[in-house]
Amino acid sequence: MNKTGLCILSLFVIMSCHKKAELLFNNPTPENTGVDFVNELTETKDLSILDYLYFYNGGGVAIGDINNDGLPDIYLSGNQVTNKLYLNKGNLTFEDITEKAGVAGTSTWDTGAVMGDVNGDGFLDIYVCAVVGINGFYGANELFINNGDTTFTEKAAEYGLDFENYSSTAAFLDYDLDGDLDMYLLNHAIHTQESFGKSDQRYKRNDQTGDKLLRNDNNVFVDVSESAGIFGGANGYGLGISVADFNQDGYPDMYIGNDFHEDDYYYLNNGDGTFSEKAKTYFGHTSRFSMGNDFADINHDALPDMISLDMLPEDETVLKSSQGDEDIQVQEMRIKQFGYNYQFSRNMLYVNQSDDQFLETALLSGVAATDWSWSALFADYNQDGEEDLFISNGIPKRPNDMDFIKFVSSDKIKSKIVNTKLVDQEALSLMPSGNTHNYIFKGNGDLSFEDKSNEWISFDTLVSGATAMGDLDNDGDLDLVVNNINDHAVIYENNTNSKSNYLKLKLKFKAPNVFGIGTKAISYTNGKLQYKELYTVRGFQASSEPLMHFGYGHLEKIDSLKIIWPDRTCQTYTNLDVNQTLIIEPDEGAMVDCSGGMNKSEQLFKRREDNLGIDFVHEEDDYLDFNRQKLIPYKLSDRGPATALGDLNNDGRTDLFFGGSKHRKSQVFLSVDTAFVAHHIPDIARDSIKEDVAAVIADFNNDSKNDVFIGSGGADFYAQMKPLLDSYYVQNDSGFVAQQLPDYFENASVVKPFDFNGDGYLDLFVGGNVVTNDFGKIPNSYILENKDGVFSLMKNEAIQKAGMITDALWHDFDNDGATDLIVVGEWMSPKFFKSSNGEFVEIDRLPRPLNGLWRTIIDFDIDQDGDTDYLLGNWGANSKFQASIEDPMKMYYGDFDRNGSTETIVCTEKNGNYFPLLGMDDLSGQMVSLKKKFVNYKDFAGKPIDEVIDKKALRTAELLEVHELRSGYLRNDKNTFQFVPFENELQISPLTCFLKYDFDGDGQDEVLTAGNYFGVTPFHGRFDSFPGAVIRSDTEFVLGNRLGLNLSNASARQLNIIKCNEKAYLLVTLNDDRAQVYQILN
Amino acid sequence: MMMKRHTLFILLATLMLSVSCSKKEEQIDITTSDFHDVLDEIIDIMVHDIFSPPVASRVFAYPDIAAYEIIAENNSAYSSLSGQIQHFGKLPEIQKPENLNYRLAALMAYLDMSKRLIFSEEPLQVYQDSLYMVWQDKNSKQFEDSKVYADQVVDFIVEWMNKDNYLQTRTMPKFRVATDDESRWQPTPPAYMDGLEPNWNKIRPFVLDSASQFKPVPPPEFSMDENSRFYKELKEVYDITNTMVEVGDEAEEVQIAKFWDCNPYVSVNRGHFMFATKKITPGAHWILITKIASESSNADFDKTVYAHTKTAIAIADAFISCWDEKYRSNLVRPETLINKYFDDEWKPTLQTPPFPEYTSGHSVVSGAAATVLTDIFGDDFYFLDDSELRYGLPIRTYQSFNQAAQEAAISRMYGGIHYRAAVEEGIGQGKQVGKLVNDKLRFVNI
Repeated sequence: MNKTGLCILSLFVIMSCHKKAELLFNNPTPENTGVDFVNELTETKDLSILDYLYFYNGGGVAIGDINNDGLPDIYLSGNQVTNKLYLNKGNLTFEDITEKAGVAGTSTWDTGAVMGDVNGDGFLDIYVCAVVGINGFYGANELFINNGDTTFTEKAAEYGLDFENYSSTAAFLDYDLDGDLDMYLLNHAIHTQESFGKSDQRYKRNDQTGDKLLRNDNNVFVDVSESAGIFGGANGYGLGISVADFNQDGYPDMYIGNDFHEDDYYYLNNGDGTFSEKAKTYFGHTSRFSMGNDFADINHDALPDMISLDMLPEDETVLKSSQGDEDIQVQEMRIKQFGYNYQFSRNMLYVNQSDDQFLETALLSGVAATDWSWSALFADYNQDGEEDLFISNGIPKRPNDMDFIKFVSSDKIKSKIVNTKLVDQEALSLMPSGNTHNYIFKGNGDLSFEDKSNEWISFDTLVSGATAMGDLDNDGDLDLVVNNINDHAVIYENNTNSKSNYLKLKLKFKAPNVFGIGTKAISYTNGKLQYKELYTVRGFQASSEPLMHFGYGHLEKIDSLKIIWPDRTCQTYTNLDVNQTLIIEPDEGAMVDCSGGMNKSEQLFKRREDNLGIDFVHEEDDYLDFNRQKLIPYKLSDRGPATALGDLNNDGRTDLFFGGSKHRKSQVFLSVDTAFVAHHIPDIARDSIKEDVAAVIADFNNDSKNDVFIGSGGADFYAQMKPLLDSYYVQNDSGFVAQQLPDYFENASVVKPFDFNGDGYLDLFVGGNVVTNDFGKIPNSYILENKDGVFSLMKNEAIQKAGMITDALWHDFDNDGATDLIVVGEWMSPKFFKSSNGEFVEIDRLPRPLNGLWRTIIDFDIDQDGDTDYLLGNWGANSKFQASIEDPMKMYYGDFDRNGSTETIVCTEKNGNYFPLLGMDDLSGQMVSLKKKFVNYKDFAGKPIDEVIDKKALRTAELLEVHELRSGYLRNDKNTFQFVPFENELQISPLTCFLKYDFDGDGQDEVLTAGNYFGVTPFHGRFDSFPGAVIRSDTEFVLGNRLGLNLSNASARQLNIIKCNEKAYLLVTLNDDRAQVYQILN
Repeated sequence: MMMKRHTLFILLATLMLSVSCSKKEEQIDITTSDFHDVLDEIIDIMVHDIFSPPVASRVFAYPDIAAYEIIAENNSAYSSLSGQIQHFGKLPEIQKPENLNYRLAALMAYLDMSKRLIFSEEPLQVYQDSLYMVWQDKNSKQFEDSKVYADQVVDFIVEWMNKDNYLQTRTMPKFRVATDDESRWQPTPPAYMDGLEPNWNKIRPFVLDSASQFKPVPPPEFSMDENSRFYKELKEVYDITNTMVEVGDEAEEVQIAKFWDCNPYVSVNRGHFMFATKKITPGAHWILITKIASESSNADFDKTVYAHTKTAIAIADAFISCWDEKYRSNLVRPETLINKYFDDEWKPTLQTPPFPEYTSGHSVVSGAAATVLTDIFGDDFYFLDDSELRYGLPIRTYQSFNQAAQEAAISRMYGGIHYRAAVEEGIGQGKQVGKLVNDKLRFVNI
């Protein structure tokens, strides 16, 4: 081991001693524990990250009691150094018995190491993976069969597991429930991808790189990958595997994390020996550079949730000097043309919804950015009953450092180009080090996690990788062992001890699955459910001690504990004491069949596959906002389509109008007896050039025939271009005739009718959303006053410049009998305009600043106290936007480079400073002077905005702010409205629409909300996993996927109740997708 | 390497400073090689800063013009370009100071203009400081007077330059990739970069009346029908490169392709490990040929600056003309189609640059530059082209500028990045630009 490493380690030890009293974990020294393993990497002329892309991925670690003495032992594998087995002698002291045990291994380059009782004799065997066949790496994956006397015999060949390919790790599972342990061998490609290649490469098996499913046939493993439906292509970069019964059908499923552009795989077990890969169905998006992953039930619903790690840095300086996100057009190409799924470079936390798409909440949960991360391990480290999360990370050299890529490397390369090796050792040494500290998060149980790094553990400077857990000192809490590159493996000794209560389960299942891999345990205490599932291969290139561990805080008794064995029999214990280790064996007498599925909650909706004939597919046009205004935070061109309801053919039935996007025709569906039929209104369809964002069907000229008003937007046409003008068609006996409207050239977002002056003619509020090509400038909104069917603009400066409007509501908010106007929008607060004598005066009803990115508003007495509250749809809390009253999100708007066109720069607060969200390339692409100011990334990275743009320019720029990103409601407190945010489940996507209706027929209205939004760059990702929700009250809501709605992966724009044949149906209008119709089941 | 040279300069300067106290003021001689030393320094910085080929052409042109205008003002053998370049107004009456050394002023203006246009000012500042120290020491009066003069010319040129729409084009729309039309250009491996400079035709040209003045015939109509011209030209690229692969790196075609690669930023991806190899741009290659021609013909400083200015103007307009067509026809690159239809693992000899295929930029630029250089130095001008030596490439010899241009053009087919039409039409397009420069701009007074 090198000296620097020792110094760092000593420092580390001194620090941790100093802080010992406060830390949850301390790190005993190798001198004290005897675990002196160092995974030392030796770079040579012929072997470095240039020759093998996973040169820095590190070794493996496995914890398990190899001699069944009750003390878990540790096996550590090294890439180039020999592997070591440490026998636990008690009191956290270990003895190196590698030699004696015969488990040093003989392959040139080892990777993951896992323990499992392969032959079912009750003794844990060791399987060590290797990379063989490149760079002169020889050997094979090795299987050390435990002889039962602390010696092992290598028998990989005998068992058919002596693979000579590019393995990362292996997982044990009994996928066919025949009672023995099968294996999933996770391999990785080594060829370096230059082009994407089509995603269907994954169907073409490649022996060296392809993953393998190996069925155990009496201790001979047979490759059944092909017939079982396992992908094995040359583009699989398998780095992470989680096995769990994700869909709770009793058969183990698998999630495979693939690095680079290959999608992650989600294999659902069909129960007949085959799997179906369903990642695209269950994941709207996944991590991009997927590394290790892990599962646990974080929200107490008995469904295993999951995290998949990536490499997004938290530190501002590292973030801004590292390679950024994919370009949006390249993403489009990769998906549409090459067939991949959406992938974004950050950790993803997937909250299991069983038979619907997972909710992805990493940003909301606070676990999205943990830098170059390898291993994630969920466990209740502090034993409070909530799953916590440990993440190891670090890379010796950051190859994605932009200065290195663009400047440093090439300056070196230029002088070396004559050699065949383009980069030499010296160039490699110029990459910055990435030895970021490991992370630990405390789970809060409400989907949120709290960063406890440096509180629970001390900040380290190690390059950490494979991690395993176990109760090394048998004190009931979970300790960790981390394998580090070029430094000692580290033990994290958990000091929870008696401060909090636990229950430990060790299983003795039927041979050959003696350790009960695949067993589930559900504990109930005070109505709180905790769910665990036993799979030992977790995290990254590692396996943990085969035990199940529960935390209970200060509770003394466990109400009940249900064990569901892999064969789907189960047994229950009641009234158990905490703080004990239970050895659980199948109790033949007590066992019952538990194979029954999950109990479904009430279904309120049922999809009408025929859509009642409403065959409307909205197709967005090709316009890409970010190509023109490159720094804007989100799209403005995707706010449609308009949906309007009303009788268009004077038969007394309510018909439907759907707007078209730019150059796409609007469509009309007429209500007939039992369905709807498409109908052509040439006079309206002709104006297809316009993008119809909002529409109203109503009799504006009081001739007893309905007319149509359409608000046009799209944020593509600009200045005084005609297609920006709204449309007004009056119906006469022969059809519809376009009428003159006042000339206002705005991007409409909402049209809301109301006869505010009581003259019997419907007036309109028309909200403007944005000024095309000049985002940040306040557009005009108007009240259109209707006199005898002719509209004119009512003068009201406050309404005209109210803001970037998205929605409006005519409602008597002050209960004075006169209907007032409330408007909401982006970068603004909800605004209240009080009606008095035909005038509208803005009044302040909010006790705190409440600028949001509001999308929608509805009146609803959510707290059921008799007065009207207002529900507000906002951006949500699951994004890279951050805002609060204290630290609002800021957007500077101005012509920073003085070239005649404006820019916006969005900044958020981090550690007391404001930083631009976007990086150097984005900003300097627009403001070329920045390239002179910052000639490299290092100078730019970590600079707050007032050092990026000079202070004077910032002062002269206009400043827009957001204080609140969460959706919620305005609680009516008589004269003021207090904002109350919704629960976290309702913050995972922007909420875009509300609909009030008595869906369950209980005589009381509920509010259905839908959302999701895709109009952002890959920097943000894709807000795709909100399944809609029915809000009953301030304390009760149910997610839509529990009620029969299928709104995940779709971006909703309108919710309407339509009637057909006397029955009510729900109509959901989606952007760039087919409208959906649901029967309401009551 | 750069630093070493600076250190040497500073050392030298200090040395001279220490002995100069007793010395009399002496004439500061500015020679062709002084100009080229500065040019080399600037090219190094441009390579480091990663200027795309069109933007680089602008960075070369304006400093040359500033230097040239000073020469034209002071050497009656040359004519000012003001009035000849339509929008380039007359230089204000600048009083010529007593101790003006106009060549020194020209070089100062050249340096100063370049400093404004490149990004990394620091190395150039260090270089400038060391030069200034030497000059000031030699003859402080000449130095001061020439600097005052140069500054005024630079101010004038900068004001004119800033109206060329460059800043405005920064915020103009990006190229919209449309993946449902396979004839249309789309980003290529490995970096899948955005379409480069899609608004370059909005840059004010020097002599062209508009970017589309020499609009070439449209490319062969896209078709994957085996009998179509387009398909045949696509297949030709595939076949040529396959044959080259069989012969190996020694193949003459490989040598030619690599010699004229002139890609300022070649990305190399190896997993997470990425880097770039950087070289000079096509424009810079021809600027260096101008240097070679000036030196081998023993051109004096004034003629050298003239040759550079004329060539740089031709190159700059060639890029405007070419880019206008590129984003008019928006044609897909061979790599995209070959990967899709013939071989998904095929890679071109050279990395496909990030902009549409038609016409070939190198062909247009080479055609333009060769036409202008032939006009200056004559046809049958034999030269050794060692401009790529520092990028590890060998020396090649040419009998004429046109021969070099023809080879540069065809190299793009060998490189697997262009079809025949783009090369053949491109060189014609370039020659028209060059001829226009020859016809319209009078540099030398007869």
